[in-house]
This record gives sequence, structure tokens and C-alpha cells, in this order.
Amino acid sequence: MKTKQLLLLILPLFVSCSNDSDDTYQNIPLEFKVPSNFPPPTYNFAANPLTEKGFELGKKLFYDGRLASDGIVSCGFCHEQANAFTHHGHTLSHGVGNGVGTRNTPSIQNLGYQTSFMYDGATTHLDLQPIIPFTNPVEMNGDFTKAITMMKADASYQKLFKIAFANGQINAENMLKALGQFMVSITSSNSRFDKYRRHETGGTLTETELKGFAVFNAKCTSCHATDLMTDNSFRNNGLAVNQAINDVGRYKVTLLAVDKYAFKVPSLRNIAKTAPYMHDGRFGTLEAVLNHYATGVENSATLDPLLKQNQKLGIALSETDKIQLIAFLETVTDTEYLTNKRFSEY
Amino acid sequence: MKNALHKAIAILAVSALVISCSKDDNEVITGTGNLGIEFDNAFGTNDLILNTQANTTSNNEVLKISNIKYIISNIVLTKEDGTIFTYPKSESYFIIDEADPTSVVAELENVPAGNYTKVKFGIGVDQAQWELGATGQGDLATRAQAAGMLWSWSAGYKFVVFEGTFTSATVTDSTPFMVHTGQTATDYNYTEVTLDLPTKAMVRTTISPEIHVVSDVSKIIDGTYKIKLSDNNMGGMGAMIMGGTNLPLITANLNGMFTVAHVHND
Repeated sequence: MKTKQLLLLILPLFVSCSNDSDDTYQNIPLEFKVPSNFPPPTYNFAANPLTEKGFELGKKLFYDGRLASDGIVSCGFCHEQANAFTHHGHTLSHGVGNGVGTRNTPSIQNLGYQTSFMYDGATTHLDLQPIIPFTNPVEMNGDFTKAITMMKADASYQKLFKIAFANGQINAENMLKALGQFMVSITSSNSRFDKYRRHETGGTLTETELKGFAVFNAKCTSCHATDLMTDNSFRNNGLAVNQAINDVGRYKVTLLAVDKYAFKVPSLRNIAKTAPYMHDGRFGTLEAVLNHYATGVENSATLDPLLKQNQKLGIALSETDKIQLIAFLETVTDTEYLTNKRFSEY
Repeated sequence: MKNALHKAIAILAVSALVISCSKDDNEVITGTGNLGIEFDNAFGTNDLILNTQANTTSNNEVLKISNIKYIISNIVLTKEDGTIFTYPKSESYFIIDEADPTSVVAELENVPAGNYTKVKFGIGVDQAQWELGATGQGDLATRAQAAGMLWSWSAGYKFVVFEGTFTSATVTDSTPFMVHTGQTATDYNYTEVTLDLPTKAMVRTTISPEIHVVSDVSKIIDGTYKIKLSDNNMGGMGAMIMGGTNLPLITANLNGMFTVAHVHND
């Protein structure tokens, strides 16, 4: 009896203590490691320093369907980790109210090294990028006022915003910064190819894969440059124009004639997991992609000059080249990233 | 008696000093106060009436305006002695919307007391802010979306929204027009204007001056650069100016859009 009474007296002390520490800013820095085979990052970490709690809040936001107008379609709805954060099996993705977009879901990985986002480079800052899918009527159709109201009424968001940011405010700035911290932290750098490049254990490529790497270096790296496998440029790669959509690509942003039908050169990392391919998901397999470059390139006023050298369209690729290339491309699959619990919804 | 007289003189002298001090031109002004900047939209020399009033440009295009909104930012005040007060950047974003009477006064708080002779402000969101990403934007995205000023497709903001219908010699049916400025891939389209105040704005703890700015929205397309809506009537669907070479010209026109009519000091 006496002990019980004592406990009752002591218990509130504990509760109030833990409440205090739960509700204050926790500045636990999160290190951003640059793998030795990567170029320097472009993200401005000084403006949005990564913290463990900022990342945690960003992850919660990324997987929260309540941000969408239907309460279901979260970022993670289309960006599935197991498929390198793409929408497996969808040429174009569908959002709220069965709305269908015009482009294939791009991968989320190593975004801190990119200089622009979206297939047309509509935005140049990662923190602002979520505004596009969040507000798009056929994606999340979200409303900042409603999302902020929802979060302000939610106990776990009240707590997370307080511990993630010094000013603790539940507002659009902190929401976007948290999402930025989560996305920029999603790194893929431990594929067999990476280990090969860094001379690490497990970094062995077979003879076929090495031959594929040689073909890749000879014929692909002018666009898919560095170990990130993109030069962040916009190019027209000679796809037949899909009349139903007539997506003009980069032109939509610049209104410059030279940019018509140019799209961002994607990273090829984890490419074996991100089918279907191209900005509209038209090709179902890597074979189809290579066949396009070998024999399917269409000439046009804005076709990238690299695809019409010496009066010849496309890239000369033998059947052996293709087999070796695909074998090589499978070595950039990074299982650690695809299954990393830190990035997982559950 | 003599002593008492001396005392009385001394008291009088001191109190005279005190009084003269407080009436002196070199009064010590301390503390902070509030300052309002009212944006009173006009079309030429007429007040702006939304939707119903026909307004004619120098190109003889007749406009009925349904929407005029713009983002004001980076407010800087200059005192008569040349010292500068920069209003906190993240608090300086105001969305002025003619259709919302509560929005047309940018209310500044905690302004150091003083006599101000100049005001500078930006129209839009500047390049430095873009480069910081979300940092420093506070609830701007939320307010902008609520006001229809979020340029969602590029994760940016519409700096100026100017919409309505028009007719001209060549476009005889009432046809929609939409002019939106904002950051594009080629231009930031942000600009700043500096306005001299005809009378000093005397900010005190007890006085909240209001600077009455007249914004002549005709200047958006009918200023230094003349842009004909009829020339931008794409396939008869309406004149949609939201990018391209016209945006920098419109941005340049904004410099001539604002004048200070008067300052209230009460």
C-alpha cells in the first residue's frame, strides 16, 4: 500500500519530465556522407541542416496520405521503395480521383547531386519540388491550408515539428524542409558496381559485365556521366512523339524552340528495378530501350546531336553489345538502398 | 524670502528647460511603431472597378478586369538622415488582392520610430530566396495557394496576376486574357521600386503612419513597353501571357506602376 502511494507520487514527476524533453527541439545532426566515387553534392545543406528528427518528420510526411485531397495518395503511393521509389508497372501514374498524369514516376535517389528536378526541370530546388506533386490536381491535389490545419490538430505532428525545428512551427516552410531532408538522405551508393569502383569487398564484376561497362563507357557516358549516370542535362533522345499527350518536355519551362521534346537525362542507377522506361513509360524492358537507341531513333529539328553523328541516327549497338550492356546495368542495383528500413514506410 | 525667490526662479528655469527640450526639433525619438502601406489599385487616372468597368488602353484595347493580385516583398524604409531599416525578409511577403479589401494594406510592425522619406519594395520573390529553397518562406506557400498565387507547375509563385476580358478592333468578341508573371527558366522577373514620400512618414510609439500608394495597373501592359493583348490571342482561345519574351517587358513596366499619393500621420 505504501509503495503504491509512493509510486503515485513519483509517477507524475516522470511523466512531466518526459513530456518536457519530448517537446523541445532536438538538434541531432545527421551526417551526409559523400561516397568516394560520387561527384560533390549540389544541395545547400547550410540552409536546411539535416537532423535526425527533421528526417523522421520528412519520412512521416512522405508516407502520409492525409496530405492528399482524398486522404489516401501519399508521396510513397507512387514512389515505392522496392522499385527505387518508382511506380511499378505503371506507364503513367494515377493520383486522387483516378486522375492520370502525363509522365512516368521518376526515381528518388541521390537527389542532393542533381541541379534540377522533374523531367522538364520545372524546379531547381529539392525543398520546393514537393509543391508540384502535392498541388497537382491529378496527383495529390493537396491544399496547404488544409494540410497545415490537419497537422496542427494531430498530436504526433505537434510533437515532431517541435523536436525537428528550432522554431517548432507547423507551417509550409518546415513541412517542405522536412521533406527535403528525408529525400536528400535517400542515397543509393552500395551496388556491386559501386563496390567495384571503390575497390571494396564484393566489388567483383563478371567478364560479361566488364565488357558491358566498356560498351557503356564508349557509347553512353556522354549523357549518363559520372557514377551517378546522368549529366543533369535535357535532351531529345528521338522518341516518336506520343500524339495523345504531345508532351513538349523542357520547352514547357523555357519556351525555347531548341528545348522542344527535350527531357532530363535520368540516372540509370537501379535501372533494372524501375521499368517501365522513358518519360511516358512507353518501353517495358531494357531490351526495348536499347532497341530504341540502336534502330528506333526518330530525326527531328531538336534531336540531340549525339544521336545523329556521321549522318547516322541512333547509337550503333550489336546484339552482343546489348546483352553485355544489360548485364552491366544490372550491377547498379543496390539492394541495401531498396530494402533500407530507414527509408521504409513500415 | 530671498531663498524662496531663488528657488522659484530655479524651478522656473529648470521647467523651462524641460519644456523647451521636449518641443525641440532635436527631440529624441525612441521605441517602435507600426506603419501601413496601402496599395490602392487604379487604371490610369481612374479608380479600379473590377468586372464591370470598361478601361481603354493607349492601343485602344478595352479591358474589363476581374483579378489583380501581386506579391510585395523586401520592404526597405529610409529615414530622413539616410539610415535604412530593412523589414525582416521572411515577414515582408504580402499578397495584395484587389478583391480582398483586408489584403490591400501591408501592415508593418516593430518599425523603429523615426521620420521616413523613402520606401522600397519588391514585386515577386527574389533570386536569393529561390536559391534558399523553402528556407525563410514561413507560411508563404500556404497563403499563396489560398490566394491562387502558387505557380504550382514550377513550384514557384505568380508574382503578378492580371486577368479579365478584352475587345479590340481585331478581337470584337469579349475574349479572356490572363497575364501571369513569375520566375521562368530564362528570367527571374523579380523587380524592385523605390518611391520618395511627398511628406515624411513619422513613425512613433503613438503614431502609425499610412503610406497611400496608387498602383496604376494599366502600366502592366501599357507602360514603357506596350503589349497588345490582341497580338497574344492564341487561336482565339484568349490572350495568355505567362512566359516568353513578354514577361521581362511586363516586369520592366512594373517599375512605372506605383506612385505615392500621400502619407497619413495619425
